[in-house]
Amino acid sequence: MNNTHKRSMVSGYGGLPFGVISECKVGNIGVLGVPSEVDKGSRIGASLAPDALRKMTQQLDTKLPANGRDLGNLDVSGDWTSSLMELISHLVNVDVIPIVIGGTSDVANVILQTLPNLPVVACMPLARHDLVERTENTVWLGLNGEQPIEVWDQINTRNMVWSTARQLDEQQAITIKAPKSAILWIDMSVIDLGHAAGTIGLNPGGIKPETLVSVVGAMDCNWKSIVITGLAPTLDTRGLSELAAIEAINQALSNG
Amino acid sequence: MGDVVQIRFDKIPSFLGLPISDLEDLVPNQVAIAGYFCDNLDQTFAGQRYLARQLRYKSRSKIVPINATDLGDLNVFPLEPEKHFSAVISQCEEVLKLGTYLVLVGGDSSGLKALGAAVENVVNLDVPIVSISNNNKLNLSKTQKIILSVDLKELAGKWVSKPRRLNGLSPSQIITQIKNIPNKIIAVAIFGLAPELDGRGSTETQVALNILEAVVKRLDKGAH
Repeated sequence: MNNTHKRSMVSGYGGLPFGVISECKVGNIGVLGVPSEVDKGSRIGASLAPDALRKMTQQLDTKLPANGRDLGNLDVSGDWTSSLMELISHLVNVDVIPIVIGGTSDVANVILQTLPNLPVVACMPLARHDLVERTENTVWLGLNGEQPIEVWDQINTRNMVWSTARQLDEQQAITIKAPKSAILWIDMSVIDLGHAAGTIGLNPGGIKPETLVSVVGAMDCNWKSIVITGLAPTLDTRGLSELAAIEAINQALSNG
Repeated sequence: MGDVVQIRFDKIPSFLGLPISDLEDLVPNQVAIAGYFCDNLDQTFAGQRYLARQLRYKSRSKIVPINATDLGDLNVFPLEPEKHFSAVISQCEEVLKLGTYLVLVGGDSSGLKALGAAVENVVNLDVPIVSISNNNKLNLSKTQKIILSVDLKELAGKWVSKPRRLNGLSPSQIITQIKNIPNKIIAVAIFGLAPELDGRGSTETQVALNILEAVVKRLDKGAH
């Protein structure tokens, strides 16, 4: 954990006090920033997301529907994946819900590897090979554009639940059959770039930020972990992308 | 230096391009619009005090509506709350006593509170504050006089440069609600927006201006 960083802020995400895992109680949340960065392309800035979300929740005076601790940011300079695995395992073992703010999708990959037996609700434009190979079915939300054929075959063969961005945006009342408990992974690139451009992936025809929040809020699921990736706050000067992430987390915590 | 300071004005900017008046110029049933330059007393966030100024800058090419005037800004004392409320209430009372409809523009919700107190003192009736909101269900008789509260924080995030929420009302929904209020509105407060002072704030300022225009037209029309 980066203690210098912790000291530089008065309070953590959503007004939670900064703390350590031992201070979390059963049923609490533990917010962890994992500021990994994109290693190619021009749309960078994912490493700024954890602190940007903390700052914005302070500015908006966001109230979280759960108690817990902000565990600060993981130091991503060394072998951070092992450290993250250890941390997540420990949090889950003591019944604390890890809210992990990336960073890039490799952050979510580590969470998924750490919790291999849980189903995943994946909000993302492109279906991923590693997710269709998990033992439990993945729920796909916000798919958009051409999907890899072998992945799509698997989704259909295994009767996975999926919705495209357009379907979600056009539904009047959103009902998604969600598993009883799952990991929620929101890749912020699921949002249409015209509505909120603060993402490392460009997604014309993605879902509206409001739709993302409604969809997450409509799922009655016991979230074992929530992971946000792909948010690049400096690419959205109005902060709608950050607002979408914050409201989605709040909706998930309200229901989960 | 932002765009704002580079604007060259042909005349002194005023709300909706209206003539500028003083208290002694007001007549009954006229709509008087006053700026409220205070954003540190109630539901505070910095920048709301600039709304009146930005609306005047944006107004320079608008068509002048009938029977309305720009009264300038109220005198405020933001660092001395007691003196401030006393002064603002008293200034609002002076306008209302003339039978003029008063519209307070900008600042935080403390302006609405002062306006409510002034209406209570002058009209001497229980005049409810009706807010524009997502769940606006009025259970008032049509003859009931009201104060209208237009909190621009109700706007959906996509309409403002510094969004504080995703969901909310569109400008046209707010304007429709204003048009459809059946009661006699005697005073209005429009507040809750901290407009960006450069070009990024042009959309939200235009939205606020359209809402102000709808309010003035609605007041000019009287009760339905």
